[in-house]
Amino acid sequence: MTEQPSGEEREIKVLGGAAIDGAPLAYVVVLAAVVAGLAFIPLSAVIGSGKSFPMSQAIFPLIGWILGPVAGASANAIGALIGVLVAPHTTTVPAATILGAFMGGFGAGAMAGGGSRRRWWLVVGVVGLLAYAAYAGRAVLQNGVGVVAVILGSFIDWSALLLYLLPTRKMAARWIGGQDLGKLTAGLFLGTWMVAGLTHLVSSTIVYYVLNWPAPVWAAMAPVAPIEHAVRCVVGTVIGAGVIAGLRAIGLVKAKFAAY
Amino acid sequence: MDPILVLDKVSYQYPRSPQLVLRDISLQVGRGEFLGLIGPTGAGKSTLCLALNGIVPQFYGGRFFGRVAVAGLDSLEHPVSEMARHVGSVFQDPETQLISTSVENEIAFALENLCVPSEEIKARIPRVLAAVRLEGMERKHPHELSGGQKQRLAIAAALAMQPDLLVLDEPTSQLDPLGAQEVFAVVHELNRELGMTIVMASHAAEEMAEHADRVALLSAGRLVRIGTPAEVYGHPELLEERTLRPPQVARTFYLMQQRGVLVRDIPVRLRPALDALDTLSRDCRIDPPTTQQPPTQSGGALLSIRNLEYVYPDGTEALRDVSLDVGRGEYVLIVGQNGAGKTTLVKHFLGLLQPTSGTVAVGGTDVRQLSVSELARSIGYVAQNPNDQIFNSTVGDEVAFALRNLRCPLNEVEERTLAGLQAMGLVEQRHQHPLSLPQGDRTRIVIAAILAMRPEVLILDEPTTGQDFQGARFILDISRRLHQTGKTILVITHHLYLMPDYAGRVIVMGKGTILLDAPIRTAYHQVDLLRSTFLDPPQAVLLARHLSERVGQDIPLLTPREVADCVVCDSPEVQAP
Repeated sequence: MTEQPSGEEREIKVLGGAAIDGAPLAYVVVLAAVVAGLAFIPLSAVIGSGKSFPMSQAIFPLIGWILGPVAGASANAIGALIGVLVAPHTTTVPAATILGAFMGGFGAGAMAGGGSRRRWWLVVGVVGLLAYAAYAGRAVLQNGVGVVAVILGSFIDWSALLLYLLPTRKMAARWIGGQDLGKLTAGLFLGTWMVAGLTHLVSSTIVYYVLNWPAPVWAAMAPVAPIEHAVRCVVGTVIGAGVIAGLRAIGLVKAKFAAY
Repeated sequence: MDPILVLDKVSYQYPRSPQLVLRDISLQVGRGEFLGLIGPTGAGKSTLCLALNGIVPQFYGGRFFGRVAVAGLDSLEHPVSEMARHVGSVFQDPETQLISTSVENEIAFALENLCVPSEEIKARIPRVLAAVRLEGMERKHPHELSGGQKQRLAIAAALAMQPDLLVLDEPTSQLDPLGAQEVFAVVHELNRELGMTIVMASHAAEEMAEHADRVALLSAGRLVRIGTPAEVYGHPELLEERTLRPPQVARTFYLMQQRGVLVRDIPVRLRPALDALDTLSRDCRIDPPTTQQPPTQSGGALLSIRNLEYVYPDGTEALRDVSLDVGRGEYVLIVGQNGAGKTTLVKHFLGLLQPTSGTVAVGGTDVRQLSVSELARSIGYVAQNPNDQIFNSTVGDEVAFALRNLRCPLNEVEERTLAGLQAMGLVEQRHQHPLSLPQGDRTRIVIAAILAMRPEVLILDEPTTGQDFQGARFILDISRRLHQTGKTILVITHHLYLMPDYAGRVIVMGKGTILLDAPIRTAYHQVDLLRSTFLDPPQAVLLARHLSERVGQDIPLLTPREVADCVVCDSPEVQAP
């Protein structure tokens, strides 16, 4: 600014605006509605259940990056809850859908946490480890499924967890927060792989305890799940790149803990 | 004056903007006053409107200097929700403001959010609906309303809060003439009969001169002048320096003044201008210039329609018995009220709609034998809402999109994209996101993309909507340049005052038929017919009609300059009142 205004500079405060963890309530409501809307669109079949995954799974991480961990998790959970009610065809076990959605928003938002929130990702990591132990443990120890089949069948889950625990989590968050469109796209794909994978892990663990699918399903999942997950990541990346570029362009005020 | 609004040395800078968008603005608005805000695009009008209820800076952040107070409340010390009780806001596009499923729910929405008791809400709804003349529409879905009705509903929703101040940011720029008339009439009534204080930003110079008590001229964020409409619009040079358009009567008398006619006070409203013209026509000679009709096109019909009827799937009869030929190289203006069938008509040339009966031919070939993509190569169509045609993440990609899909060689894509961007003055913005640009620039992006396709025919559907005067002229100048290279141009617009320098032929549509197809000088002077379809002839035409009646001779003039030129005063002491 080259010229000095004659008026006194004022301190700007956001007064009285309803917000969840620094994200305006209006943002949370709108994005919850988007999640609920995308629940109508099936992304892929859930093997052995006659149900399908909702398309909204692809944007769970994006909402966490836009709103931050608490507001993102809230928007996802509210949207998923509505989605369960209005679009039951994409819900296998309602609690799994809602908890998975919550995990997606929280896990994504926690990736970029700084200051007092810099270790929030550890909560996600621990929950992920416990979920994987329960998931794979039940398959191998209780149901006698072969270890190799479980490892191959849960590739997207353990790879997501591993990438989340390693510095790749921080790298993806940095790329998403940067201005380079190429890195943003790569960060969205990598981040969606991790976070949507964790969503899948939490949801699948609950679903497995409810349905206890037979051993052959693990073998069927091995080639299908990575492709399905890649599609989920591509959808999340395409939507995410457009949305983040658009949000930056129009200069809408960011949520306090947004990662982009 | 009892000020309801006080701005004291207000300056503001958006978070990522390198410069101030408002600079040291100080003004006061009295209770019951109607203040018009005018200024070119980017002058800061919208930002100023947003500052009145605290959205700027509370929502946008940035740096804020000085003080805004409404009814004694400082906009930085009270939340937006509290300011909203005192400041009702109505924005440009009514579609973006309506969220409920019925008219009454729309009005109740904000009140419910403020925990107003339901009995009170029920009492307010009929009152505000009566104020905006929407009685009996309580149960209608907002999407069933016309553009003008939607904007009046937005005003009703703002009024229901019983604000001290009603702020309207270009509320008529997206509306057809009837809708705009309705909104101005309602705002005028609110101001005059209910004493509502109004701040309205608008490019509609004639209406602002008619209705506002004072007008504030903003330029580059500064308050350049504030005064009565006569004190601001009566200085056309001041406005034209800033690429603004004065009312046509003001420009006409200003031009007379420039030619040596002593005009003491330049009239800015039609009635005083007609009276002034009476005085001049008594004391001066009226010497109408010889006007020429544009040459008739000798080439064959490029676009041809015979006995066209079109009925929408819901049973709406949009076109009936329309026959029309457009010759190669013609520049045709299509006008008419919303719902007259203008857009439905041109969509038939693109194959986007198929006739219910009758035939449509392009270059002698029935469009049913051509695919939409084949037609798109020869006919470029710029739709009403540019947002419907924009979906890439940069301006450059948007312009190159169709060329890439046609698998043009890479260097040709580059060359034609650059040419399109240059033609529309968008080279510097080529890497920006289209949605980061104002609405007017988005229209130019779509036109650039169409120009890159080098079509034979260019159809511009409401290209001047949402543009300021300079932006509208910029687009129309492009169309004229293309016309001069032999292209065929069809323009749909409600802004008749813009078109005399461009179009040669006018098609007036109403209720799905062609009411008139005539050269522009003939068409513009069919005042009653134009008004029957809610089109207001330009003020220069009305002045010319008045002169015609005075001298008993048909004077088919179209522009302020033509009218000014035909008044010849030999005696220097002749003065208009």
